[in-house]
Amino acid sequence: MSKYILNRLLIAIPTIIGVTILIFLAMRVIPGDPLQLIVSETDGVYVLSEEELQALRASLGLDKPYHIQYLDWMGQVLRGDMGSSFWIKEPISGMILRRGPISAQIAIMAVALSWLIGVPIGMISAMWRNSLVDHLSRVGITLFIAMPSYWLGLLIILFTVLVFTWRPPITIIQLWEDPIGNLSMTLLPALALGLGLSAATARMARSAALEVLYEDYIRTARAKGLRAALVVWRHVFKNAMLPVVTTTGLALGGLLGGAVSVEKAFAVPGLGSLLVQGMTERDWMMIQNLVLLYGLIYVIINLIVDLSYAFLDPRIRYES
Amino acid sequence: MIQPKKFPSKDNGARSVDRRTFLKMMAAGASASVLAACATAGAPAEQAAAPAAADTPTPVPMPEPVTSGAGMMRPEGSPKHGGILRTAFGVTMAHFDAHQGGGTHVLCHMYNNLVRNNLVDGLRTIIPDLAESWEVDDGGLSYTFHLRAGVKFHDGEPLTSADVVATFNRILDPPAGIVSPLKANFTFVDSVEALDDMSVRFNLNSPRPFFLNLLTPTNALIYSKKSLEEHNFDLRGVIAPGTGAFRFVEHLPAEKWVMERNPDYWDAELPYVDGLEMLHVPAWSDRGTAVLTDQADMSWNVAKETWDEGQNRADIVRVNKLANFGAYWVFINNREAPFDDARVRRAIHLAVSKQNLAAAFGTQELINITRWVPQGDPYATAPDVLATLPGYRAEKEEDIAAAQQLMADAGYGDGLTGIELLAAAGPQGELLAPAFQDMLKRTLNIETEIRIVERALLGSEQQTGSYQLMVHTRGHGVSDISPRGNLWWRSGGSQNFGGYSDADFDALLDEIDVELDIDTRQGQIAEAEDMLDANPPEYLVGYTFHLPMWNNRVKGLALDERAFAEWGRMETVWIDEEA
Repeated sequence: MSKYILNRLLIAIPTIIGVTILIFLAMRVIPGDPLQLIVSETDGVYVLSEEELQALRASLGLDKPYHIQYLDWMGQVLRGDMGSSFWIKEPISGMILRRGPISAQIAIMAVALSWLIGVPIGMISAMWRNSLVDHLSRVGITLFIAMPSYWLGLLIILFTVLVFTWRPPITIIQLWEDPIGNLSMTLLPALALGLGLSAATARMARSAALEVLYEDYIRTARAKGLRAALVVWRHVFKNAMLPVVTTTGLALGGLLGGAVSVEKAFAVPGLGSLLVQGMTERDWMMIQNLVLLYGLIYVIINLIVDLSYAFLDPRIRYES
Repeated sequence: MIQPKKFPSKDNGARSVDRRTFLKMMAAGASASVLAACATAGAPAEQAAAPAAADTPTPVPMPEPVTSGAGMMRPEGSPKHGGILRTAFGVTMAHFDAHQGGGTHVLCHMYNNLVRNNLVDGLRTIIPDLAESWEVDDGGLSYTFHLRAGVKFHDGEPLTSADVVATFNRILDPPAGIVSPLKANFTFVDSVEALDDMSVRFNLNSPRPFFLNLLTPTNALIYSKKSLEEHNFDLRGVIAPGTGAFRFVEHLPAEKWVMERNPDYWDAELPYVDGLEMLHVPAWSDRGTAVLTDQADMSWNVAKETWDEGQNRADIVRVNKLANFGAYWVFINNREAPFDDARVRRAIHLAVSKQNLAAAFGTQELINITRWVPQGDPYATAPDVLATLPGYRAEKEEDIAAAQQLMADAGYGDGLTGIELLAAAGPQGELLAPAFQDMLKRTLNIETEIRIVERALLGSEQQTGSYQLMVHTRGHGVSDISPRGNLWWRSGGSQNFGGYSDADFDALLDEIDVELDIDTRQGQIAEAEDMLDANPPEYLVGYTFHLPMWNNRVKGLALDERAFAEWGRMETVWIDEEA
């Protein structure tokens, strides 16, 4: 197992390097000059002279060749320093540490919700295939898959504001500081994300369970008189969960980086909002480091998903 | 000749100020010294300002006796000390240097200007700030400001004339590596010199009736010489100490700013609140819901739908609709055919209905149909007059016929094809540009293709001139036509990206720049607007309204009386817990 993990981590290195090169180049080739922002905030557009541009580039180290800039950045990262935002010099790691827990909490709550709602619905729908329950479940699944979580979030906000004159807090409240305040901030975004994810989970669970239900070993288990609940729990559920774990893992990887649209809908100051902020301000260093972080999260989540297969399916042994 | 307009009256109807009165208030004291002579601590500024509305015009602020207490703002009612004011609007900025283009809607609370707009009379007069009084000599060529005694920066350093000189020298003659967007506003200032520790003189090469106005925007704040020198004149990464009513406490990027009351503020009565908590709420709709749900006490500008809801919730919030100095435009590249022909630009000006554009964009932002000078400026054309002018009136039949004739005269009677209309992604590209495109097609048979780009790219497209028509925004902190005209419409102006050139307009602008007589200047500005109508540099969709919303507890900012929108200082605000 440890050899497998080591191999996977080694394979991840070129992936991460590829991500860093791509985002580094992307920031430099997409149109739009971050230096223009220096003077465009207050009095409209101001034309920078060539001398001014040169001086500004030099002050930010942007006058160096690309490969030097890239190596500087990588050197910083390897030293555990994510650098600071372009202009205001705030440490990026500090911002990530403050906002990351909120995005992570929302993501984990959304995934937990999707399992709590989606897996039972999917299993029930599969067990009673083509029944009224199945039909209703499938309608609900289709509805919530089609419903963008951003739009759902806006509906929730609209409802709570108009009916209760209340909305989730818009400043960060950490779980360890004020659990109730924190939940009032994170629960509804998690619900908006989780409902859509529940539908996807339910659909995946249903189709996987349907496949398993017709396997020979299930028929055998039933034939030998095993109780239906045991058949479902021991044989159907575990085997049907493999694809669900895969899709959930990928979804979690995306959500941990901050669900940008839902964070925007609820005005949650999480990592997704931070990325949008970085893009708005053309803060290259912020964007580069956040994308690097997302890449790392994806690699780690994928590894965890792969390792979880061994737990769910004893036939999978990585040493072999 | 355009008839004088009535200046926007206060909502509560307690007092209305007509254009002439306002002009006199602005010019006359703009008040420095009028208020210096009259204002006393504890007296409502409205009362103090009354003498400024004398019958005889006062073209240039004249010297007045220095009186202690000048510029002390006192709101109506019985202000109470205490509490924290929570605001909801976007509080991010690319950097912290106000003079290099950093946003000042947050940091302004930490600083003072030499002069400022009066918070308690709805920004209708200019009053002393760090300058307790001033004198104007040599027919407007010399402004001597006398600084307030005992003012200290937040680091304990005393304010002296050296700080003012260092501040303005950096603006006028920035050191290498420093960008100075404000420099273009002060091209007529030859030098700034310290006469003694507490007096500063600005030497102008020609008089400017709006000079004091240029000192009022929040970005015309005063830094300390020590801060500037310590950081090699570059404050982009530095929250430099100011002299303002609030001191910096905490900045959580893209989340909130926290400031506390400055106990050593030069006006011992202010500020009333113990601190400010400025929440980062970039989305307009979230700002409105934040105020409605009592997560914030006020916002400078909320979404229309939440503003509408606020109107129905008078039990908890109040709202207003304020003229703003930023506008939506369709920029026209005057350098290229067919738009190098004034008749084509005039035809577009006449044919495209501003009312329709305002309606199309109404779900996003309220458009204030105006002429070239924005509402909120004393020289703006009154709405009732505007409603009768070709190009501005709602009835388009006659205008469209005239426009079609102009197109025919220019040789484009059959219309035009292959014109590119550039717009930003989002509401501008999705609502304004298609509406404009549709009206061009239906009225003048001009076929355009919309090209959508990211908003941040429009500026560079504009500067390189790689566009024909472009939907975009543009504004200026000062409403007077002179600074705007010199930047935007003068031949070779630094922001005249479309290459507009009209020698007659340039000559008239030269006169407007230096004209000190109010009535003469008013006539000149009306003539300039006529010129711009006849030979438009671009198409003006309209200036915008800002829609502030505030909790009923929030007092002391005269938000319901403001002449125009300003995301500025708030030291007179107080919280009425009993409201």
